[in-house]
Amino acid sequence: MKLKVMKQQSLWWSISLLIILSGLIAMAISWTRPDIKAPLRPSLDFVGGTRIQFELDCAVANNCDQPVNVGTVREVLDKQGLGGSSIQVVGQNQQAVSIRTRTLNVDERTQLQTALSEAVGKFDAKTTQIDTVGPTIGRQLFTSGMLALIVSFAGIIVYMSFRFQFDYAFMAIVALFHDVLVTVGMFSIFGLLFGTEVDSLFIVALLTIVGFSVNDTVVIYDRIRETIILNPERHIDDIVEDAVNQTLTRSINTTLTVLLTLSSIFFFGGETLKNFALALIVGFTMGAYSSIFIASTLLAWWRRRNGQAIPALATSAPAIDASVSSEDA
Amino acid sequence: MQRQRSLLALIIVLVIASIVTIAKVPVRLGLDLQGGSQLTLQVKPSENVKEITPRVMEAVQRVVEGRINGLGVSESVVQTVGEDQLLVQLPGVSDPEQAERVLGGTAQLDFRKQKPGTEAQLGVEFQVRQELQAKQAELQKQGAGNEAALAENQAAIKRSNAAIAELFERSGLTGENLQDASAEPAAASGNNWNVSLKFDSKGATLFADLTKSLAGTGRSIGILLDDRLISAPTVGVQFAQTGITGGGAVIEGRFSAEEANDLAVQLRGGALPVPVEIVENRTVGATLGRDSIQRSIYAGLGGLFLVLIFMVVYYRLPGAIADLALVIYSLLTFASFTLLNVTLTLPGIAGFILSIGMAVDANVLIFERTREELRAGKTLYRSVESGFYRAFSSILDSNVTTVIACGALFWLGAGLVRGFALTLALGVMISMFTAVTCSRTLMLLAISFPALRKTELYCPKVPASNQPQAGVTP
Repeated sequence: MKLKVMKQQSLWWSISLLIILSGLIAMAISWTRPDIKAPLRPSLDFVGGTRIQFELDCAVANNCDQPVNVGTVREVLDKQGLGGSSIQVVGQNQQAVSIRTRTLNVDERTQLQTALSEAVGKFDAKTTQIDTVGPTIGRQLFTSGMLALIVSFAGIIVYMSFRFQFDYAFMAIVALFHDVLVTVGMFSIFGLLFGTEVDSLFIVALLTIVGFSVNDTVVIYDRIRETIILNPERHIDDIVEDAVNQTLTRSINTTLTVLLTLSSIFFFGGETLKNFALALIVGFTMGAYSSIFIASTLLAWWRRRNGQAIPALATSAPAIDASVSSEDA
Repeated sequence: MQRQRSLLALIIVLVIASIVTIAKVPVRLGLDLQGGSQLTLQVKPSENVKEITPRVMEAVQRVVEGRINGLGVSESVVQTVGEDQLLVQLPGVSDPEQAERVLGGTAQLDFRKQKPGTEAQLGVEFQVRQELQAKQAELQKQGAGNEAALAENQAAIKRSNAAIAELFERSGLTGENLQDASAEPAAASGNNWNVSLKFDSKGATLFADLTKSLAGTGRSIGILLDDRLISAPTVGVQFAQTGITGGGAVIEGRFSAEEANDLAVQLRGGALPVPVEIVENRTVGATLGRDSIQRSIYAGLGGLFLVLIFMVVYYRLPGAIADLALVIYSLLTFASFTLLNVTLTLPGIAGFILSIGMAVDANVLIFERTREELRAGKTLYRSVESGFYRAFSSILDSNVTTVIACGALFWLGAGLVRGFALTLALGVMISMFTAVTCSRTLMLLAISFPALRKTELYCPKVPASNQPQAGVTP
């Protein structure tokens, strides 16, 4: 198998643009939807509120005979003045209910719990889950997450400029933006289609995608750098194409092994990790894609544009080439 | 060869040490796995206290700790986060409502007057409480497993506190009237410390009245924090005419420096009517947590197993060696978690499982290089050596960038996020070690057996003309 990445570069770029564009459209739609009002469907972590999950206590006789009835739960909530809350029946036998409301204080919560217990059946305290998050906490999470993203971008640029050259570092970051944008866009689409919410783990997932995807790009760039040193008289397009193909098996195998572990988390892991694993599956796949098709072609395009297409010639007169191209732009 | 042998010995020692560590040292499980409540308390400035200083936080933390002790939870953690937040972890708490109620209120410091004729009774009750508290400390030290005894004793302490509070009547003087409390060395003797109090003008009047009525009677001022007696000083007979005036007073009790400071902090805490609000509460039921551990462990093992199979099928002998290195990697990483006292949370487990997937990457890089060299017609030994040598810069660069991202997460993130960053970064660093040393040593060991020197074991479909003779390898 030999990929002709350079010849088909406009194809790969269009594919990426198409995916990113549909993500952006989904984000715009989400923003205008009254029930979301944000580019992504935010979870409790970001908007604040209370989520309670109760499970019926099956040790009590006749308690678990019927699944939880959403109508009964809704009635109880309406009586408590919590009409707009979202109710979800969960659990393998539909014996658990997850309720998301505005922020409740202890007394309101206890009251709700007692009322629900009377209407639905006795709950098992050992499986109860309560999350109350103030809106300020969500803001803190968001800003610290964004800050972490920016700082890691800066760190990666500095390190790569030091180990490679600045244009490598810059194109690697462009590829990273691509991966982050695609993942965010996909989750916006999932949010519209399946009601998938993003929580604080989503920010963690984005940062992991950044780490992993740059890892992939670095391996290919490493090969390009090596080939350039060995064959400075070759054209950059040939060098890039060779480097991509030489590292292709490795890219595929590594992505495959990581996807194996991730899908095992997705299918067998706890409920909380499901969306996290999904985000990583999307992001890592896109990370591998962007390393092979985007980061490499962008680097070649940039060098061609700056008259560094043939490294041996470029090094002899870099200053003139650079000034000419900047006038073009 | 000498170097290989000592490396092999090192690896074996490390593996045995990790197995022993994993077997002996229990892992610390996060609240999301063992069940319990995690509360974030926001300390808010008020009219009287306009700025939250570290001194205010210290006092608030002390009050919160006191209240948690009142709940009777073992192994609780109270930490200051940022400038004005407290993180409270209550593992295995069975009654999150009670915890929330108790922690959310403002501390109430109250100066009360002992009722006449209760002198003997106070001594007895005080003794009872002291014994109960000693027992409670003992029970808490024993850790988990005796929640019932803890709860029972806690109830007894509560009754005892109520009985003591019964012996006092309110004087109208509260923490609001207290401006400051600090420890100071007693003038007369060397090691004794006193606690000095300073009241506002209204407090000064009330305090003068209170002391006047109690002076010389042998009855004491009851200083109660959240309805719990923390000190019961008596007033000398010389103040019977006017009481203690001027708004300042000194509690002399032959305190040690530490005791005096402790009391001062408690008083200050009570003196601070700073509202505390619970801004975050994450409670996970005990069995819910157990369920997620189990499922995550299955997921981890499932993922590891799939990767192991893939490696052998695709890379053959080197794949099997990489598998061995991966198992060693998992052991070392897990052992280092327990040694570094990493609290294992659900995202932490995810980070660990993920790092297994990523640990393969270094091996894949090396083996792909080895195959290239073999296809180029190099000898087996040279191919393996240069596979490791030439893949190293890729491995280094790619892992350093991942660690940079982890560093940003760890530095700027909080709670769960930090756990994930730490486990992933540790995993990546250990994976570099195992890929470069373990895989390499084991590979070179394998090549030293003539039976394992067939090129097909390393790379299928090497052109016959390129096939090196097995005997030629050094």
